[in-house]
Amino acid sequence: MNFDAWQAQLQLVLDQPENVFIERATAAGKIPLGYTCSYVPRALLSLDGLVPVRLRAPGVAGTEIADIYLSNVICSYTRSLLEYALDGRYGFLGGWVFAAGCDHIRRLLDNLAYLVKPAFVHMLDVPHRQGQAALDWYVEELAVLCRKLNATFGVDTGNAALSKAIARQNRFNQKLQAIAERRKEKQPPLSGVEFQRIMIAALCGGQEEMLDDLEKMAAALKERKIRKPYRARLLLVGGNIDDIAFIQVLESCGGMVVADRFCTGSIPGMALMDEEGDPLQAIARHTLSRIACPRMMEELDVRLQAILQLKAEYTADGVIIENLKFCDIWGIESALLVQGLRDAGVPVLRLERDYRLSGEGQLRTRVQAFLESMGK
Amino acid sequence: MRESSAIMELPKKDYWSSLLGDAAVYARYSLVNWFKIILLVIKHGPWDTIRDLRRYPWILVLLQVNRLLWRFIRGRKGRYRKASAMVMADIVAAVIRMMDDVFFKGDRLVIHEDMIPPEILRAMGLVPFMAELLGILMPMIRPHAVEAYIDACENAGIPPDICSLPKSTMGLTLKGHLPPALAIVTSNLPCDGGMSSYALIERELSLPTIRLDIPYRFNNEKAVAYFSRELQRLIAWLEEHTPGRMDWERLREICEERNRMAAHELELWDLVRLRPSPLAGEAVWLSHMWNFNVTPGAREGTHIFRDMVAMGKQNLEEGIASIPNERFRALVWNPPTIHFIDIYNWAEKAYGISLIMDSMTFNRLGPIDTGSNEAMLRGLSQIIMAGPMARHTRGPAENYLNDIFHITKHFNIDMVWVAGHIGCKNTQALNGMLRELCREQGLPLLIINYDLSDPRIVSREGIIEQIDHFMENIMKAKRLK
Repeated sequence: MNFDAWQAQLQLVLDQPENVFIERATAAGKIPLGYTCSYVPRALLSLDGLVPVRLRAPGVAGTEIADIYLSNVICSYTRSLLEYALDGRYGFLGGWVFAAGCDHIRRLLDNLAYLVKPAFVHMLDVPHRQGQAALDWYVEELAVLCRKLNATFGVDTGNAALSKAIARQNRFNQKLQAIAERRKEKQPPLSGVEFQRIMIAALCGGQEEMLDDLEKMAAALKERKIRKPYRARLLLVGGNIDDIAFIQVLESCGGMVVADRFCTGSIPGMALMDEEGDPLQAIARHTLSRIACPRMMEELDVRLQAILQLKAEYTADGVIIENLKFCDIWGIESALLVQGLRDAGVPVLRLERDYRLSGEGQLRTRVQAFLESMGK
Repeated sequence: MRESSAIMELPKKDYWSSLLGDAAVYARYSLVNWFKIILLVIKHGPWDTIRDLRRYPWILVLLQVNRLLWRFIRGRKGRYRKASAMVMADIVAAVIRMMDDVFFKGDRLVIHEDMIPPEILRAMGLVPFMAELLGILMPMIRPHAVEAYIDACENAGIPPDICSLPKSTMGLTLKGHLPPALAIVTSNLPCDGGMSSYALIERELSLPTIRLDIPYRFNNEKAVAYFSRELQRLIAWLEEHTPGRMDWERLREICEERNRMAAHELELWDLVRLRPSPLAGEAVWLSHMWNFNVTPGAREGTHIFRDMVAMGKQNLEEGIASIPNERFRALVWNPPTIHFIDIYNWAEKAYGISLIMDSMTFNRLGPIDTGSNEAMLRGLSQIIMAGPMARHTRGPAENYLNDIFHITKHFNIDMVWVAGHIGCKNTQALNGMLRELCREQGLPLLIINYDLSDPRIVSREGIIEQIDHFMENIMKAKRLK
């Protein structure tokens, strides 16, 4: 199968919340668990008998009912999830695992528990800083979740099972890395849209099934002759993007997203977990230290430096920072990052957006103007 | 609707004698306020005062504090009027002490976020300066006072949908209107906007900064231990970055004073439970907000509460209600409408509504155990974690909803007024649930759409219009005035 055929298959997966991967996993007796934030460790929901599903609301047309409960000043991702939940679109889930990542998601849990009353729902209380005390706290939180998963679903949450899940995720990340690295090439063989398609499919239940396919995809990529022309290499930074349509618009204007630093992207979540020692410690350390999200309150400079480093590593010409409207933490962070990047002489464009693609014409104009401002 | 059947009234007085009474109380307390202000100017020196007025233009707003005094006492009567004036005078005195600290103890000043225990800073011989305080006080005195700061913040790229309180604080920082300090102490409370605002404040002020981490689920031993350790980390950090040194004996005195004040407050709550209430309004909410959050452990606070309890008891013995015609009793939820801060006084006159209790005041905290250093830190941890902005606007929804329904029963409340600040996403996202639950319980609910500190979003008149519609259509009550 050539790379384009893989992509066409993955696109089908992206169109529905309940995709073919989840159907197959369910048929095999696995329980799909929904989650909304990178601070819910995927490895923990990948234990034998479970399948992690990063929740999306593909094609959501409106959030009229969710707005009644969440109000229209809550981010549209959160509202879209509630709308789909109220519409019964997540009926396939065996449970929901949340992280107290931001105000919006915390209120999603409150409203979901009130309106939908899922059989299994759990909130991980994730610290807002790093350090030994925070790590110890988080390890205990993960242990509580493990006990609940064991008691509710009967899954093995022992150290051996956890280590196995870590190894499996590491293997996936290593294989994905081989594809991701190709984006560093001067003429990348795959676009940002194509890479993100792989990422989202993996996040939405496909990680296990795609494990073997990744090597084939990487091989197919080597055979690929098409090289998409572009005007500028872009580093995309921000919050949740699980709809490739946004990246499609950026790339249709001549941009090429060669690196990502958002929670549904590959950097730095693809970093490998420690396979030695206590597995819960390894998962907790990995999750807390991935420093991608400004909800970790002490690390603005670290995040800024990471962006500058990534820009250099992936030879990006400019940075686009996107954030969902009404997201307080990204709203303030992006204003500060813009200033920091400008001070460092980096071309930067800040885009505030809705969860579903909207205002496409305006978006195009701004991206085109940005590319022109870089002389591209 | 549970309109009061037995209405107690003050002895009849004509309009002019009431006005004269207001004027006499106003004259007495405003003169005292001015006297304190003038003393501070003399102490500081006129030239230095002029220089600092230019450096900190917000002082000019604070100097107009007597406007607030007038708005609080106007039309109120007897001991209730006196209690309102006393609370205001207490605040003026504390603000003057704060200014005195800024002018004369700048070498010990620490800027802190509003959910950090100032008790610790004081016990360490440091001068706490709550960064959010100006954003709260200024619109109370002059409703449009923080608009320039909000605009400065938005012009710096901060999204307009962020809460206007952190926007005001960020604007003050961007304009260079915060006093020089040694360090910044902040936390992940009370909301994402508040937490993130300190990234900007730290960048602008370039000061050593510590951030405390407060768990989401706080009502358990693990959380208390975790946050107590955070407070220990704070103490060690302050000892490293400032000349402050922890004086545990001083902390004990502060905590014991706070306990005494809290004991008086409980007595006050017992009084306001009665229908009609012998005291209400600022005597309940503003006294709490100031004395428990800004100056906890100050002897003046204990005296205020002690005196108010005495006045409330006297009113009760003499059969005098705080307002002569208490038709309805309301619970105010969320921080009150600070740019329409005399909403309490207005509601009393317009509809005979006593605003009895509010979310910022009510709590279920016991006294701080001063038996050991660790016990005190545990007590302070619980106060912060269970603080209204932590417990209601950030914590699980049951904290928010259970408190509302408990208070309505306990304080014999007829209706809930939610001050629906558009920038508070946490509470906006609970309005739908609250609406349904109130409907189920037959509890009338008014959600006032407005912005906490920016009257350009919804003006005083806009708020009044919403209340009028609610009172007319839901409560079927006519305006008295």
